[in-house]
Amino acid sequence: MGRFAALRVRWGLLALPVIAVLLLAFGMPIASMTANSLFNHAGPGRVGSNLTLVNYINFATDPYYLGILVDTFALGFVVVSICTVLGYPVAYFLARTHSRWRGVLMFLVIAPLLVSAVIRNLGWIPLLGTNGFVNWALQALGLTDRPIALVNNFLGVVIGTTHALLPFMILMLTTVIQRINPQIEEAAVNLGATPWKNFTQVVLPLSMPGLIGGYLIVFTITISSYTTPAMLGGHRVTVMSTFVAQQIRFVLNYAFGATCAVVLMAVAIALTVMATRQSERGS
Amino acid sequence: MMWTLLNRAIIVFVFVFLLLPLVFVVVTSFGDAAMTFPPRSFSLEWYGAIPQPFITGLKVSLIVGGSTAFIAAVVGTGAALAITRGRFRGLKILAMFCLLPLMVPSLVIAVALFQFTGILWDIARIEIGGTLIGLILGHTAIAIPYVVRAVIAGHAHFDPTLEEAALNLGASKWRTLLSITLPVLIPGIVSGAVFAFLVSFDDVPIALFMGGDEATTTMPVKIFTSIEYSMKPDVMAVSALVIYVSLALMILLEKTLGLERFFGTGRA
Repeated sequence: MGRFAALRVRWGLLALPVIAVLLLAFGMPIASMTANSLFNHAGPGRVGSNLTLVNYINFATDPYYLGILVDTFALGFVVVSICTVLGYPVAYFLARTHSRWRGVLMFLVIAPLLVSAVIRNLGWIPLLGTNGFVNWALQALGLTDRPIALVNNFLGVVIGTTHALLPFMILMLTTVIQRINPQIEEAAVNLGATPWKNFTQVVLPLSMPGLIGGYLIVFTITISSYTTPAMLGGHRVTVMSTFVAQQIRFVLNYAFGATCAVVLMAVAIALTVMATRQSERGS
Repeated sequence: MMWTLLNRAIIVFVFVFLLLPLVFVVVTSFGDAAMTFPPRSFSLEWYGAIPQPFITGLKVSLIVGGSTAFIAAVVGTGAALAITRGRFRGLKILAMFCLLPLMVPSLVIAVALFQFTGILWDIARIEIGGTLIGLILGHTAIAIPYVVRAVIAGHAHFDPTLEEAALNLGASKWRTLLSITLPVLIPGIVSGAVFAFLVSFDDVPIALFMGGDEATTTMPVKIFTSIEYSMKPDVMAVSALVIYVSLALMILLEKTLGLERFFGTGRA
């Protein structure tokens, strides 16, 4: 920018270290992986030398692999929906309240984000297990007479991922709702709108662009996540990320593992670009 | 009326839901070996019996996190200055490249690094897999976007007259850079570095694929792999300790920099 012209420094040179580090730690690895995906599998842990699209064709034509992609999207869809329903009321409250507790509540929303994901997931295991707190509470309340399987299955992954992403949803929605002029709502209420009507016909339509942006971001993080599905799915839940890890760590099919990783990456990048466009439109 | 009640109920539920797992790590760390609810007894014994590998893991995590924060802060600040002040072709591409690691799932970066180390060994006989350098490199890649973003955000309010004044008063350009530009950018650099540390301290996939023996196993990876087979309250005790320290740091951050600036996109 011309504003900083007084200080005659060739600012562009300051970008050289970042280019070097990112090429070595990110660019070249991604290129290597993409290259591996285009060669044949030549035994455990070996990538052959025949240039081929066979890995991609296998992925695109086998219902089992496509099923994993569908399950991954299903997880994203369920988590995003729950995050929206649970996050909206909290975000609305945080955006509109003048309570002196706002700071504390905001802190409680952000605090879980700063604790390692592994540790948060760890807390769910004794909570959701057959002899855990939730089953104890459900039985004490007489809602069930037998423990329900809440972890080491799809439900466990949904609970853990929702927990990880709810704070993001709340923070994004709070920003969106804060941008809506409260006088519009006051006008609606003064003209006789019930809280429900005010919500469905005023607040929700006005927050739609930001909501869709947040929705896409949470969806993308969900389908990208590995730690939570691996820890709370108990080897029984296969989504794209856990499948890729399995191909590399245990099946040792490096070429096909790379292919699935490239597919996951392409989906994640496409969704992020869509989310960015959407939020630019929203603001 | 129903609508308001439902809203209140959801708000209460959300806060309980958000805090529940953290509370339960702490509760279980004082409980008995069966880890059932309600616990039959409470004790401090697990805190005295934290196995050595977890302590080593914590040390590895701190070394890797600290190095990542430092390198990402230095390299990322340079990038942010180039992006905000530079006038050269490819500026937009540079800005995109610096944020790109944020868009790629960290598991994919982990697999890519893992396969790249194989190729690097085949071609140049350089081994970075299973070394601390490999771990730090991988974490630096995913931490750089956070630093670049934080420094660019901090730079938005930079007053160019500060630098002009220093130059007019006879300071050299290096002196100006070091005693004016850098200090003004410090809050952004510090929050970027803190975020870089958190990203490193939180990561499992990259540390899982780049780590090797105990000397390169971070604490999250140690916890992650140990519960694949069995779980004992000693894991809870070490995790509870981390929660206490994180809580103290969070309160410190809230009082100094303000926690609200610490959100963006994350990984689960």
